[in-house]
Amino acid sequence: MAARRTLKAVLVDLSGTLHIEDAAVPGAQEALKRLRGASVWIKFVTNTTKESKQDLLERLRKLEFDISEDEIFTSLTAARNLVEEKQVRPMLLLDDRALPDFKGIETGDPNAVVIGLAPEQFCYPILNQAFRLLLEGAPLIAIHKARYYKRKDGLALGPGPFVTGLEYATDSKATVVGKPETTFFLEALRGTGCEPEEAVMIGDDCRDDVGGAQSAGMLGILVKTGKYRAADEDKISPPPYLTCESFPHAVDHILQHLL
Amino acid sequence: MAAWRERLAGVRGVLLDISGVLYDGGEGGGTPIAGSVEAVARLKRSGLKVRFCTNESQKSRRELVQLLRRLGFHLSEGEVTAPAPAACQLLRARGLRPHLLVHDGLRSEFHQVDTSNPNCVVIADAAEGFSFQNMNKAFQVLMELETPVLISLGKGRYYKEAAGLMLDVGAYTKALEYACGIEAEVVGKPSPEFFKSALQELGVDAHQAVMIGDDIVGDVGGAQRCGMRALQVRTGKFRPSDENHPEVRADGYVANLAEAVDLLLQHAQP
Repeated sequence: MAARRTLKAVLVDLSGTLHIEDAAVPGAQEALKRLRGASVWIKFVTNTTKESKQDLLERLRKLEFDISEDEIFTSLTAARNLVEEKQVRPMLLLDDRALPDFKGIETGDPNAVVIGLAPEQFCYPILNQAFRLLLEGAPLIAIHKARYYKRKDGLALGPGPFVTGLEYATDSKATVVGKPETTFFLEALRGTGCEPEEAVMIGDDCRDDVGGAQSAGMLGILVKTGKYRAADEDKISPPPYLTCESFPHAVDHILQHLL
Repeated sequence: MAAWRERLAGVRGVLLDISGVLYDGGEGGGTPIAGSVEAVARLKRSGLKVRFCTNESQKSRRELVQLLRRLGFHLSEGEVTAPAPAACQLLRARGLRPHLLVHDGLRSEFHQVDTSNPNCVVIADAAEGFSFQNMNKAFQVLMELETPVLISLGKGRYYKEAAGLMLDVGAYTKALEYACGIEAEVVGKPSPEFFKSALQELGVDAHQAVMIGDDIVGDVGGAQRCGMRALQVRTGKFRPSDENHPEVRADGYVANLAEAVDLLLQHAQP
């Protein structure tokens, strides 16, 4: 492996890494404080299609994490950045709760489509409207392409199937903005002045957190909390830089070995 | 490109797509495409064999033929090859009991089919019926099967109605394929079995038949893969970019069915 540069940034996943539903991972708040004692940038990165930054922040503060809004980078932020960069007016196929993250974005007379998990929007007339925009050349921006997710009443279709259907009908490809896309990790570092080689990512999803970060040139640390299942670390090649019990262990390793 | 005479030599039978060639759907059923009513009549008088080959899966054959008659066309149900009857044959042959994700207008085609305790999903152009709830139900049925079987009546991307282009069943079939990690079995164009059964009913060999359609992939590409010739009309869902399609090149492009029939009557040998 090429010689690594001094670590300057730590990216941390939220759900499954800092907390599991409404409970903090034991020792995670103290571990975050220890990490803040070192001079590194900290960014909290997550794939969400329906929770705005404000929602996430409120939940984390309730769990007594010391976090500020500008440290959070989500797939919704990434989509918004892309919309601004392309200077387009998106039709937003998103859950109402996600809309605050798009405040101030012009959406009249749309010439782009942003699609997340929004079952109430996935009806024929609305998808048909999106389809016609795409056929006219509007870009399709997908928050992520998950196939399905678990609900209380069983499995339910995620946004991925509908993105795929629109891609097929219009012979186009969506730009996926969430983890594990390389651009997501690079965008998360924007404003820090750090290179990917100067960053480490901590998360519980071997492919999306660790594999994605490592493909982008970062180190990846897999924690055995949240959605982690035995032998997940064998699912990617090269394997995770490190697999450890939980977020506090990951922080200890960083403080002892990477700084 | 070779002269029309060469391109149409030896044609003895014609397969006609319906939507976008004979008529455009829309409010009150739809409107005939200019010149198409007379073109079908002239073709039928010419001595060339004629059959209709459609992926229509929103209406039953009976409803479709009634609509076309109302618009002035002369044809009967027996002259139409459509995917729903072909799917029923397949279901019976394989002992499959479908969960139907189809338009209410198509349900009558499946009256004879056992739909209890489903062991497969049949998807057709359900239009407004493609709600999240209905898609999710079909998805859940598939995920509970040990070997999920998804049968798709056609796999079209879109079609044209008066109000504009409309998403077709293919987009929704793709969605379920992606969600379940499976591949659907297509009954209808461009499946070779479907074209072959239409040819058999038409009663000519593939090299003596020409397909006329508005879908560059489903009609033109599909027919050519079966050894037929194929013309694309610049009506219905036709888009100028179709003439530069990366994979499919029609044997000819014509303004509409009326021009296709002019050329056939001039150059084909009945």
